[in-house]
Amino acid sequence: MLEKEITVVNRAGIHTRPAASIVKLAARFKSEIFLVRDGFAINAKSIIGVMTLAAEQGAKLFLRVEGEDEEKAANEISELFASGFGEP
Amino acid sequence: MIFHSLKSTTPIIKSVELNTDAKAEKVLKGIPSSPGLSMGKAVIINPEIELLTNDKISSFDIPKEIDRLDFAINELTEEFTYLLNKVQLESKNISAVIEANIMILNDSFLIDSIKKRIKKGYSSESSVIQEFDSQKQFLLFSKDSILKERVVELDQIKERLIHVLRNKHISFIIGKNSIVIAQSLLPTDVVQFRESKIAGIITEVGGISAHSSILARSFDITEVIGVKDATSCIEDGSIVIIDGNTGIITINPTSATIENFKLLKSKELENRSRLTELISKPSTTIDGYKIHLMANVNFPEDLDKQILEGAEGIGLLRTENLVIESGHFPNEEEQFNWYERIVKLAFPKPVTFRAFDMGSDKYAEGMPKHESNPALGFRGIRFLLHRKDIFKSQILAVLRTSAKKNARFMIPMVSTVNEVLQTLELLEECKVILREDSVPFDENMPVGIMIETPASALQSSILAKYCNFFSIGTNDLTQYTLAADRTNELVSETFDSFHPAVIKLIKMTIDSAKANNITVAICGELGGHAASTALLIGLGIDELSVTPPTLLELKKRVRTLSYSDSKILTENVLKCNTYNEVRQLLENA
Repeated sequence: MLEKEITVVNRAGIHTRPAASIVKLAARFKSEIFLVRDGFAINAKSIIGVMTLAAEQGAKLFLRVEGEDEEKAANEISELFASGFGEP
Repeated sequence: MIFHSLKSTTPIIKSVELNTDAKAEKVLKGIPSSPGLSMGKAVIINPEIELLTNDKISSFDIPKEIDRLDFAINELTEEFTYLLNKVQLESKNISAVIEANIMILNDSFLIDSIKKRIKKGYSSESSVIQEFDSQKQFLLFSKDSILKERVVELDQIKERLIHVLRNKHISFIIGKNSIVIAQSLLPTDVVQFRESKIAGIITEVGGISAHSSILARSFDITEVIGVKDATSCIEDGSIVIIDGNTGIITINPTSATIENFKLLKSKELENRSRLTELISKPSTTIDGYKIHLMANVNFPEDLDKQILEGAEGIGLLRTENLVIESGHFPNEEEQFNWYERIVKLAFPKPVTFRAFDMGSDKYAEGMPKHESNPALGFRGIRFLLHRKDIFKSQILAVLRTSAKKNARFMIPMVSTVNEVLQTLELLEECKVILREDSVPFDENMPVGIMIETPASALQSSILAKYCNFFSIGTNDLTQYTLAADRTNELVSETFDSFHPAVIKLIKMTIDSAKANNITVAICGELGGHAASTALLIGLGIDELSVTPPTLLELKKRVRTLSYSDSKILTENVLKCNTYNEVRQLLENA
């Protein structure tokens, strides 16, 4: 299992479109992927879960990945966060 | 599919005469959002769902309820996908939203949770409502207003799902010439309505910059928004006249009102064809005084060919709409693409980019959320100079689009000379960056100042030395001069742009511009006001920028006026003591 701290950097936070990109990416991996905020974990393959994290700019989350492709998954998802989902 | 266009209704006029006398005529007022004049039969959609959150079923019915849920989800997904395909090429933003809606609808975690509730003995409807409402709670806790707004999105999907479950859509006969009345609409709805060739839309909520309103405008569907309780006080099937220019809605019109509508409508059509003849004619007074007529533009979608043919350019492009539309401050590249599209469409006519005029009333993330008095607060240039990162990205994007030499840049809400100097400094910094990267741009891109505070009008003789043009925003200038909030109905009588104090400030601004050889424009509503044209010409205005539907009407007026007569009239107006005197003088002229 891998754990990594990630930060929401884009200004609008995880609104609908970023949530959709996270889920689309997560769905490509076999691993179980969770986003944890304040001890509360949601499945990153559920758009409703990701949306209801209500993660605003600056929010710190834990990415928890477990499975055969965990390293690749963790890297690509944290890259997506770091890129601000293509938003400023 | 939810909105079957099952049949087109019989000619509406006929059915009108049958039932007009039965019910009393009623008038409602909303915010005009997409221009036009239409009459049709009311089709109420999206009525309030009765919240049957605890509707129990017997254990025997559980498999049947689960099937119903699956079926409804499939049907709705199919509809959304169909519309996604339709709209994909037209707007990337809107298709991204529809795509996300499809993902929400098919979220297996969400579906499983709903099914768990069904297995506990609740009906599909109750289970859907319970689950969506519990998910909503998480968003409501958020302090971030953009994230909070997602609640509306979940509610809309929930309601749609409930409608499909209840087979409610069978009663939605969206025929040709219907007036659709809804609480709020998804972009997919509007795409669907275009297919059904409806006559108009009335919504209870929604902003002029909401996705659905933008679509209504670009599809040329008349729309009035912000009509409180529209779905409950308009009866399904009643005849409705909707005026997208004034926001006035007439329900159950009397035969006299209908006659009047027909007259107005035919006049509008006639006028349209007569006015089109004016497109190629110059906007010059009978004694040869030239007024440049420009268009105020909110979105690239507003730019049709005809507008551009009738206008000499865009006198005001409200760039903050890009921010409001996308919900965040777009980066330089996103801006560049948006701006470039407009500049190309308008070329060789000029486009006046007004820098983001954000205030806490037009919110985007990163801004103060609550100010006790937003109109007097952290808005326009004040905000931009505080967020130089945002301001610079905009200046860079505009400069890059200026390469064809038809871009102009304008600074909003200026109240001190210092704000202009700081902006010019930033502009210089940006030019250095572009020169270093050998990116082409217009070295002499005109920079203008919005005159919309009394301070800037009083300082106009100094401000004129630092810019290439003035543009007077009469709405704000009136609000600040008369200390009357333009959105507050209680002081709407005090808010009058014909107040002698406002006219004096306009005159002062125009005189300063003339003395310094720079051009001066009006981009507020006063410019399009029928009574004001002679006065503004008499004061010596160079340019009028108005909302496109009123442009040719204005040109017609300019062409009947004389500059020398207008000057005499203006002398007399300047002697008036009250706005009543001013109005009387102008209206009788």
